[in-house]
Amino acid sequence: MRLRFTLNGKPTEVEVEPYELLAEVLRERLGLIGTKIGCGEGECGACTVLVDGTSILSCIYPAAKVQGRTVTTIEGLSPGEELHPVQEAFIEHFAAQCGYCTPGLVMSTVALLQENPHPGYGEILEGLSGNLCRCTGYYQIVEAVKAVIGQGLGLRGQGKS
Amino acid sequence: MDTSALGQPITRIDIQTKVRGTRKFPQDFNLPGQLYGAVVWSAYPHARVRRIDTHTAEAMPGVVRILTYRDVPRNEYGINIRDQTLLVPEGGKVRWLGDRIAIVVAESERQARAAAEKVQVEYEVLPVVTDPREAMREGSPLVHEDRETNILRHVRVRKGDVEAGFAHSDVVVEDVYITPMVEHAYLQPEAGIGYIDEEGRVTVIAAAQWPHDDLHQIAHLLQLPLEQVREIVPAIGGAFGGREDMYIQHLLALCAFVVRRPVKIVFTREESFRNTGKRHPFYFRYKWGATREGKIVAVEIEGISDAGAYASTSIPVLNNAVSFMAGPYAIPNAKIDGYAVYTNNAVTMAMRGFGATQPPVAYEQQADRLAEALGMDPVEFRLKNLLEPGTETVLGNRMPPGTGIKETLLQAARAAGWREEAGRWIRPDLGTPSAPYKRRGIGVACAYKNVGYSFGFDDRSTAEVELSLDESGRIGRVTVAIGAAEVGQGVHTALQQIAAEALKVDPARVRIALVDTSRVPDAGSSSASRHVYTSGNAVLGACRLAYERWQKALREETGERTVRAAYTFHGRDLRPTTPYDPLTGQCEPHISYSFGTQIALVEVDIETGEVDLLKMWTSTDVGRVINPPMVLGQVAGGVHMGVGYALTEHFIQEGGYVRTRRLSEYAVPTVLDMPRELVNVDVEVPDPTGPFGAKGLGETPTLPTAPAILNAIAHAVGIRITEPPATPERVWRALQGKK
Amino acid sequence: MGPVDWTAYLFPESVEEALEMLSAHAGRARLIAGGTDLVLQAQRGQCPAEVMVDITRIPGLDFLEERDGWIWIGPQVTHGQIAASPLIQKKAGLLARACGCVGGPQIRHVGTLVGNVVNAMPAADGAVALFALDAEVEVADRAGRTFFPIAELYAGVGRSKVDPAAQMVTAIRFRALPQGSGWAYKRLAQRKALILPMLAVAVVVEVEEGRFRRARIALGPVAPTPLRARAAEESLQGAPVEEKAIAEAARLAQEASTPRDSVIRGSAEYRRAMVGVLVRRALWEAVFSPFPPTSSGQGE
Repeated sequence: MRLRFTLNGKPTEVEVEPYELLAEVLRERLGLIGTKIGCGEGECGACTVLVDGTSILSCIYPAAKVQGRTVTTIEGLSPGEELHPVQEAFIEHFAAQCGYCTPGLVMSTVALLQENPHPGYGEILEGLSGNLCRCTGYYQIVEAVKAVIGQGLGLRGQGKS
Repeated sequence: MDTSALGQPITRIDIQTKVRGTRKFPQDFNLPGQLYGAVVWSAYPHARVRRIDTHTAEAMPGVVRILTYRDVPRNEYGINIRDQTLLVPEGGKVRWLGDRIAIVVAESERQARAAAEKVQVEYEVLPVVTDPREAMREGSPLVHEDRETNILRHVRVRKGDVEAGFAHSDVVVEDVYITPMVEHAYLQPEAGIGYIDEEGRVTVIAAAQWPHDDLHQIAHLLQLPLEQVREIVPAIGGAFGGREDMYIQHLLALCAFVVRRPVKIVFTREESFRNTGKRHPFYFRYKWGATREGKIVAVEIEGISDAGAYASTSIPVLNNAVSFMAGPYAIPNAKIDGYAVYTNNAVTMAMRGFGATQPPVAYEQQADRLAEALGMDPVEFRLKNLLEPGTETVLGNRMPPGTGIKETLLQAARAAGWREEAGRWIRPDLGTPSAPYKRRGIGVACAYKNVGYSFGFDDRSTAEVELSLDESGRIGRVTVAIGAAEVGQGVHTALQQIAAEALKVDPARVRIALVDTSRVPDAGSSSASRHVYTSGNAVLGACRLAYERWQKALREETGERTVRAAYTFHGRDLRPTTPYDPLTGQCEPHISYSFGTQIALVEVDIETGEVDLLKMWTSTDVGRVINPPMVLGQVAGGVHMGVGYALTEHFIQEGGYVRTRRLSEYAVPTVLDMPRELVNVDVEVPDPTGPFGAKGLGETPTLPTAPAILNAIAHAVGIRITEPPATPERVWRALQGKK
Repeated sequence: MGPVDWTAYLFPESVEEALEMLSAHAGRARLIAGGTDLVLQAQRGQCPAEVMVDITRIPGLDFLEERDGWIWIGPQVTHGQIAASPLIQKKAGLLARACGCVGGPQIRHVGTLVGNVVNAMPAADGAVALFALDAEVEVADRAGRTFFPIAELYAGVGRSKVDPAAQMVTAIRFRALPQGSGWAYKRLAQRKALILPMLAVAVVVEVEEGRFRRARIALGPVAPTPLRARAAEESLQGAPVEEKAIAEAARLAQEASTPRDSVIRGSAEYRRAMVGVLVRRALWEAVFSPFPPTSSGQGE
């Protein structure tokens, strides 16, 4: 079937099979490797992308569903040199280690802040609770999110003794 | 450059592309004309393979080739001992579910997987043995029929007179502790491509912790000269020990070798869970005695590890575990027996801590129980027993300068509100629980871990440095070539900073070359918390040589535009290590160490058994902080893995079959499961042999987390969880038992 | 990888067209909304179907409103929309909270409450809350539309009486919680997010002059379907609001529970014991949270 949708701001057409899932289409047919597959069952959140501005798990999302819709992937956040503020904050706060969960977490953060530009601490945790990270322990990710919404730092590193 | 590159929050060298999503992991590579491989895994945990019939599968659409044992030139491998086949032959045995029968290579992944299901295998099912304690007994089914016993390794330590020590003890505590099998659960599933490169080499792109060792293993399997094998390591999506041994590299190499076209293999998460290595479960028996003054005087310990079906790194993991079973304490009398035992369970292997992670669950609860029995504060009790520089351990070696464990305890305890009054230590006030059915508790745990390879195995790493000079002879660009795999821990950034410091240049001028075995020298594995120490020393050595040559070139006005230097660091040159004495275990076990203390404040629901982590304090002696936020990241990540170990993670098998089949059945902590607050204090007691005093860091922060939490639970509600994870049900059962 | 059995993915524009599509592919078609469960079931071979009939583009099925004394929820409404709905938070707070416990945010953005009901899993948070709300489910087929009490549509673990080959759920409706009632939704799981519950308890109470006028207690997963603890509810009718009556109700709820042993999600013994603990806590919390609720219905 022919799929027509807006991908990262650009009209896109691609031929897909009815059974294909969005993550596969993005990665295999469209070469957008920034969307990661970590579990294939909608558990880890690495495949998070936005459909019409809402975060979804592309590894369990039938590709057919995006017919006529708008899809934003990690590649769409910073098409040029300039980074999205969420990406900037992730860099500044060392919020990525291995980096495999990172695109998904960045997308979840973008979605969270679109829904709620000033989330409280609990709402941030809630907003990130659909993404697993095995490296960071999440604190620096939470700090990055807080930095984006212009709040102070909550994790106290007391530095050198 | 005016300021030091060390101790600065230098931006991670790899992070920009990671947040952009452009950095490529193994599954992100595709090559023209590439085929796809799918593995036919064993259907049984223990069976003899009677017949393999690939005819039906070969006729399936898209199938190019089905590889079986007949295609493997030398069908034997293993990182320590060659006890595995790459593809199980007819007449051979499958010993766990992760044994492989065949690889189907097809035009598409779907076709490969569909055909893999059609490969017909006749098995003769054999009885399984899944408890290493039973597997040790005579008459138990043999996992490896050519061996007399399932015991893969026994290490014994005998020091002093244990019986006299117990007789001299005023209190003795003993118990059984069982640690769970856990899954590495790195976010990036196993994947890669094998192909023949432009020079005809069998080449593998995969996430490997020890690329140069893989070469040796692949060369042996394929009976190729080493130069005919190549491995390229792109971004690695977490490893934690799970990629130290080969898991897909050999499959990809075989495919490329036989099919002569690029072949890509990607494991599903279910395949990853079912068929790759795990952390060793340990079955411990602990008996410890102390005097009323609070000195530990005797320990008797038995630790049995479940090695699973093949050795992998079970021997060195056991060696390591035994060396830490007595904890970071000075103890005059010790009797320790460690065993690694084959079973039909999942192969067990390296995982963050490499045998140093399981013992603290036992020894730190033992320490707390002795303190309790003596009516002594747990911090005070530990301070009386902790190792110091020069202290003799139960292995008879003396701790090196830079043994900073006491400092980590003091820092963590003070941060958490412990007070010292007239020589006695007093726990902080814990505040009011959030509900009448909840109780608060605070727990402390100390632990330590070797840095680098041990027991006579030389820890070495080679670095090559190239300085590009500008017209005026100043250093323009620095390239460091070293085979150190960046698994996410930040080693490339740390090496960049070390090089910058040694050459007195801005870190931004230093780049780390892609890890490609055809271009970079062997640095050993990304394991044992060793790269900052060992490869840091190698980079430091190479940079110092290059610096001298550069200065000489300047003095002599040679006009050279490129300066090169290479340096191999050998751990044995600084602190030679020795193997265990077979009878007494006395030896010089390790080169270097790092140390840590953690304290947990928890709230336990006495009706449901749920445990809430309110706050944790962490303190790690890293010798020298290279990059503070990266240290914090390693600590927080270590705590995360420790939280899972303490409370939620358990890889469950029954009769050799996997019950936790996928990520949704295996509870990796989410952001909501982490302690609400984490307070970290870095301790810097330099190791004079480390680069700028630095030690390793990657593993130690995982070690104290679980015992600190378990001790906090005990403090809150007076029960001992001796078999973590402390799931609500297990805590509830222990509470029921107490009633 | 996607479920290879799928040969067509269709978007009907009306309920009638959807039903026609089902009928045209007799037995080989399935309705799909969010697909968060269905895709996995299809991948695991648990849902043999070739034609997907996606109902998310049918106009007029996204309602979430109060009408004719009922609250109505359409089959396109997601858990996220329900959790965030001021109407639901105000008038059926336990459903908002239950839906807020499902999966993570991304799952809640896609998975629907109706899908949760049709999927018929006893651990489904939203369904447990709907049992406590005495919800009714509107089922459409070519003969017309009929309302059923929600419990009547459950045939067993993962088995709905809604015929996937011929029927479609077109609405869920329930009455707003009456004035003076209180509610609670309690959940026990191996971790704090992104996981099915070991146990979920939804409670609604109406209290008058220190006595229970009525109590509704729903439980899951302690039986093949979500369960109403009827004996416990009856024991509370007219009983004074005090520990003795509440403990007795908790005991009766426990007696009504027949959970299975699960290697992953806990033993039957533990879960049964926890029914008692959670029902007691839920009843007390409900008693002290009378309508209109003071909290937003989000989080603890």
